[in-house]
Amino acid sequence: MPSSRHNLGPAVAVLFLLCAGGAVSWLLAAPALSGPAEPGYDIARMVFHYSTLPRLATALLAGAALALSGALFQQVLRNPLADPTTLGVSAGANLALVVASLFLPGLLGAGRDVVALAGSAAAAAVVVSLGARRGFSPYSLVLSGLVLSLWCGGLAAILTYLNQKYLASLFIWGAGSLAQQSWAIPLSLLWKVAAIAIICALVIRPLSLLDLGESTSSALGVKLVRLRVIVIACAVTLAAFVTSAVGVIGFIGLVAPTIARLAGARRPAQLIFWSPLIGAALLFFADATLQFAAGGLSNFLPTGAVTAIFGSPLLLALLPRLKIRHRIQQAPLRKRSRRWDAKVSIAIAAAVLTVLLLLSISLGRAVGGSWTLVFGDYFRDILVIRLPKIFAVLASGAMLAVAGAILQRLTGNEMASPEVLGISAGSTFGVAIALFAIAPGFSGQFAFAVIGATLVLLVILLGARRAGFAPERVLLAGIALSAMVDAVVGVLSSTGDPRAVLLMRWMSGSTYLVDGTSAALEVAIAAVLITLALAARRWLDILPLGPAPSVAVGMPLAKARLALFGLAGLLTAAATLTVGPLSFVGLMGPHLAREAGLTRAMPQMIGAALIGGGLMVAADFVGRTIVSPYQIPAGLVSALIGAPFLMLMMRRRA
Amino acid sequence: MAIPRRSFLQCAVMASVMPRPAFAEVAGLRIVSLDYGLSSTLLSLGLPPLGISDLADWGRWVVEPVLPSSVIDVGSAYEINFEILVQLKPDIILTTPYLDELLPKLQPIAKVLRLEVFTPDAGPILPAATAATRRLAAEIGRQDEAEQFLARADALFANCRQRLAGKDIPPLALVNFEDARHARVYSAPGLFHNALERIGLRNAWTRQSNYWGFETIGIEQLSTITAPEARLIAFDPVPPDVLPKLAESPLWQRLPFSRAGHFSVLQPALMFGMVNEAMRFAALLTDLLEQDA
Repeated sequence: MPSSRHNLGPAVAVLFLLCAGGAVSWLLAAPALSGPAEPGYDIARMVFHYSTLPRLATALLAGAALALSGALFQQVLRNPLADPTTLGVSAGANLALVVASLFLPGLLGAGRDVVALAGSAAAAAVVVSLGARRGFSPYSLVLSGLVLSLWCGGLAAILTYLNQKYLASLFIWGAGSLAQQSWAIPLSLLWKVAAIAIICALVIRPLSLLDLGESTSSALGVKLVRLRVIVIACAVTLAAFVTSAVGVIGFIGLVAPTIARLAGARRPAQLIFWSPLIGAALLFFADATLQFAAGGLSNFLPTGAVTAIFGSPLLLALLPRLKIRHRIQQAPLRKRSRRWDAKVSIAIAAAVLTVLLLLSISLGRAVGGSWTLVFGDYFRDILVIRLPKIFAVLASGAMLAVAGAILQRLTGNEMASPEVLGISAGSTFGVAIALFAIAPGFSGQFAFAVIGATLVLLVILLGARRAGFAPERVLLAGIALSAMVDAVVGVLSSTGDPRAVLLMRWMSGSTYLVDGTSAALEVAIAAVLITLALAARRWLDILPLGPAPSVAVGMPLAKARLALFGLAGLLTAAATLTVGPLSFVGLMGPHLAREAGLTRAMPQMIGAALIGGGLMVAADFVGRTIVSPYQIPAGLVSALIGAPFLMLMMRRRA
Repeated sequence: MAIPRRSFLQCAVMASVMPRPAFAEVAGLRIVSLDYGLSSTLLSLGLPPLGISDLADWGRWVVEPVLPSSVIDVGSAYEINFEILVQLKPDIILTTPYLDELLPKLQPIAKVLRLEVFTPDAGPILPAATAATRRLAAEIGRQDEAEQFLARADALFANCRQRLAGKDIPPLALVNFEDARHARVYSAPGLFHNALERIGLRNAWTRQSNYWGFETIGIEQLSTITAPEARLIAFDPVPPDVLPKLAESPLWQRLPFSRAGHFSVLQPALMFGMVNEAMRFAALLTDLLEQDA
């Protein structure tokens, strides 16, 4: 084992956190232990022995396991931002558990760990295989991981919402609650984590040789592929065990190794040795503080969401300090032989959209469940209900797709999208505040959503200005912010308040509350903003060529980026109000447009708008009719189709 | 000839109160109910609803009374399917304060009858539910049926009370498990607390709770119940992993309720319902206690 002879920093960090945590724990425990023992069932002592103590033990173990997992990921992927949260591994495990609890509850007894492992392994496989095709660029890897995280988390939350009546507890659990009622969980976690830790100890030497570079370490006898597989398997398994035991605890695996590094643990072996200790002490401290601060509510406040609230700003703060070793690979503008002329592509997209619109407007389900065209008596009544929704999702889909096209051109990254920018999350946060603090009805929620989106946009812009609007910083900052907002919403939801259901409805992209006025407003906003975007087509054609050519043709680089980010933000904010933060149309629209041979900015944006609008109309139609009389939110339908579709596409193209 | 004249008068009164002419033919009223308690009350008034919300979950939460197969599902109460609702052409839509945000969208479709049972100042729920039943009956011209129904309820409570009299039943704590660590415990002014009183039983959880009649507690709090032989009654559905987890938790093992015969799981009964649901609870509970005695 590497000793602390060379560097006392990490040891000091561990000691400090442990002492702080211990002090807070003492404050927690003192009331229970101070009074004389009561005969019989002494609540204070019982809770102390079988709830408080196992909880603190679980915090230590989970913290250590997650931090070890994060350190392993960071070392083997050579990526300082990797951890079970940013790679989507924890979210994958959680989604698998939610799905199993809904559809295969029999699996969850003894098979709980296996289910979690299957989920996290699938998530890791997706993210790593995508990363491998892009040369393990740290930035791309984390971006894909966070998109996957968002998708898994969103899907898990929505499944909960659709079944909310008898899954009340999933709220708490899904967001990572450390609450315990016996020693069973910490004890089983102990031996599992210990077993993995022993394997890690065995590979620590070859792992540290990785830093010497691939050829050198191969020459020294390191079997690279086998080593990578073993280490990633360990990291994934650790995350799965923790998620299976206590749910998703956000960002500990990112924060602990970062602290270790800042405290002076430089060499890989040091990092892998100190990170788990720091992680354990960190989660111990965080959870004790949470319990102390939240008092009686602490059993319902998900520690996982609270760590995310504090962890994600840290990620934000660390961004400028981290040297991202590889720049993003500028996605080369593929000079593929155009299959069609741009005009033909656009005409086809427009025709398909028209058909979709007509179909969606005229076709529905009747009372008995049979398919029916709108007719006779009901014509007016039904159209009054249906048309606003259709046009609102059409406008939103078009706006998201155009925002996506702008962002992808601006950043040169295919995974960039408004969902990832965090603005959607900002709107959600605004709605949450409106609901919980003020509850002013629909118009108030609308206003707060705009304020929330604008604030996030401002924070992103201000944060990015320092970095000269370097695209990767902006996107990662957006994701960090969106993770934080999601966590805050998670905390609000877990208070068990009935208003949380309204919030979940919003997040799932339901058009339930859209009426004629809001739809008209949405369409008008879309028309104005998309026109603005089309007016900026020259900038958008030049920017992907890189900063140097842009400056060379006399473009005000920073100003252009600022304006375009602002425009993308407005488009996203307006669209999110209708279809929620998770639709992924902003990713799909521009992609499909490029696939159709629309490579220049103007045709790509027009094509993306048509395709994005069409996708949302189709999603709304499916959601409205497929399980009628029950309705699946349009945003959810498009997310369910969108994300896997996107993954497939990236595999094919890369 | 008293009855026809009386119902004629009712119709006349209602026609003057309500603007729509459809109310002249009371028997054919097309009613959609967006609340389980109101739906079951309609059934008991002899006027089955045309459509209700969340029909698919009726069997999981309400079970009895059984709905006629003609009832149409209008979607989830959180997202009413307005296209279906419009096609049903209802005369009356029954709602609760919980769905107030929908009022502007419901009012153009039909007359909306908003009945309050669970409100901050409603007081004890069972009397509030009785009052709401009478009000609903008056609005749809079914006063006679309402009085008969309420008399049936009184008779059932009295019968249960008589069956349990002299059996020396200990105080009962009523809970729904949320997870292995938390439960909702039901007490005054809740519906089931009132039902317990009506059949002569004592609630072991003596603290007043919120206006819905429940309080969320950690299971260890159940140890504050001091009555020596108190029994714990949990309602189905119990979340799947709760009972195995409780079995290994010392917090549960050391509670007096974990002893054999002190804990039972009762079939589902809707604690946020109205008179029918209180009746179902009383009947189920009386059966259980009689079996055990």
